[in-house]
Amino acid sequence: MIDVATPSIYLDGIPHDRLGAIRDLPGLMWHPYETNGFWAVTRHVDVGEVSKHPEVYSSGIGHTNLWDLEADALEARRTIIDSDAPDHTRLRRLVSRAFTPRNIMVWEETTRSIAAELLDGFIAGGGGDWVDLVAAPLPIRVILTILGVPVEDAAFLKQLSDHLIEGTTGEMTLPDDAFGNTTPLRLLPFGSPASFAMYEYGERIGAERTADPRDDLVTHLVLAESNGDRLTPTEYKNFFQVLVFAGNETTRTAITHGAEAFAMFPDEWNRLMADPSLMESAVEEVLRWATPVMHMRRTAAVDTSLAGTEIAAGDKVVMWYTSANRDPEVFEDPARFDISRLDYEHVSFGGGGPHFCLGAFLARMEIRVLLEEMLKRNLVLSKEGEPVRAPSNFVHGVLSLDLGVA
Amino acid sequence: MNGVEMVRVVVDAEKCIGIGQCELLEPEIFRLDDETAISVVVGDGLLPCDRASLIADKCPSASISIGR
Repeated sequence: MIDVATPSIYLDGIPHDRLGAIRDLPGLMWHPYETNGFWAVTRHVDVGEVSKHPEVYSSGIGHTNLWDLEADALEARRTIIDSDAPDHTRLRRLVSRAFTPRNIMVWEETTRSIAAELLDGFIAGGGGDWVDLVAAPLPIRVILTILGVPVEDAAFLKQLSDHLIEGTTGEMTLPDDAFGNTTPLRLLPFGSPASFAMYEYGERIGAERTADPRDDLVTHLVLAESNGDRLTPTEYKNFFQVLVFAGNETTRTAITHGAEAFAMFPDEWNRLMADPSLMESAVEEVLRWATPVMHMRRTAAVDTSLAGTEIAAGDKVVMWYTSANRDPEVFEDPARFDISRLDYEHVSFGGGGPHFCLGAFLARMEIRVLLEEMLKRNLVLSKEGEPVRAPSNFVHGVLSLDLGVA
Repeated sequence: MNGVEMVRVVVDAEKCIGIGQCELLEPEIFRLDDETAISVVVGDGLLPCDRASLIADKCPSASISIGR
């Protein structure tokens, strides 16, 4: 057995050697985990197969993280991510309109002005912690603007979001009753008391918008009807939590690994400066390189087989995006950061299927706008130290990254 | 267009979840409804066969199929 689940392994970076070794094994590897192991799906083609067959590989039967949840905890914490059709379809249609390519364009100028302000501050200070100064504030401010949440609360919500990440690492720094939490931790997303605070915040802003509707996403969530249904209070607060969390954490990670890559491989930055028509493929390469979410789990709804391995109904099946994105069957010289790749069918937004990342076009826009604003300023980044990584097997998180202005 | 086989694309409104990949690739053919975000084929829906196959393949919810 090749271990890729112990979170501390990730402190030194992604274990690409281990994932590659699993990829090279015949069939799927059974990975022991706590009291209930999983099939490790590491090849690009197999990740696509699992993603595109939700009727076989369910998101709703079990949890979509590695660990199991008792039935009441699963219900209390269920989000759009942990749902199957028809519930998933209903939830997705409630919000999809806000995240279509056409509607995301509306936020481009807002994003550009936030990026400009953050970059000017970073340059004026001669560099510093890229995560704190640029990568974290940009996406949280954008998602809060879309939601209609006061941007002054960005720092608080970012702090909560950071605590949720801790919930994936097994290294909780908060006492159980932090933020006045009274809910058993097992009923809270990521088992974190910060989720209680996120719920409370979401409920308060939801009540405000119910009483005084505005043209924003929170108002839409609390008032929208789909097939005559409204979101239940539990659905709403989990939706709010997942939009804030996923809307900032993942893009922050992409922006951080992207900036580090351009600092490490200045030739690639020079290519982009010389030829901005490479922007589209550069954005995709940043996404492939970063792979912010390293895996998602499914649970087999029926007996099936994949890559010649028999899978029984109820088995856990885990798609390692971070491995699929380095699969040499798809990507030429996959360990190389190459902004001109045409083979950019990465699975950073999932391998297709109905759970395709809701924020994909938002993330792409944010990364593109940030790179464009960096180009406009002729900003050349230099790496001043190693990133401080989150000890997580789930998100490719970076807590801090010291970059300089070359 | 002589020699290029044209096919008609069809959206399954039951499966579509409004991602918008189709509209991004072919804004003249697909339009997401402003209210429901469900993709609707505008006009005759005719595309060269290769292009239609690509767009059907790229639809994450597999809601696009090819008719004749």
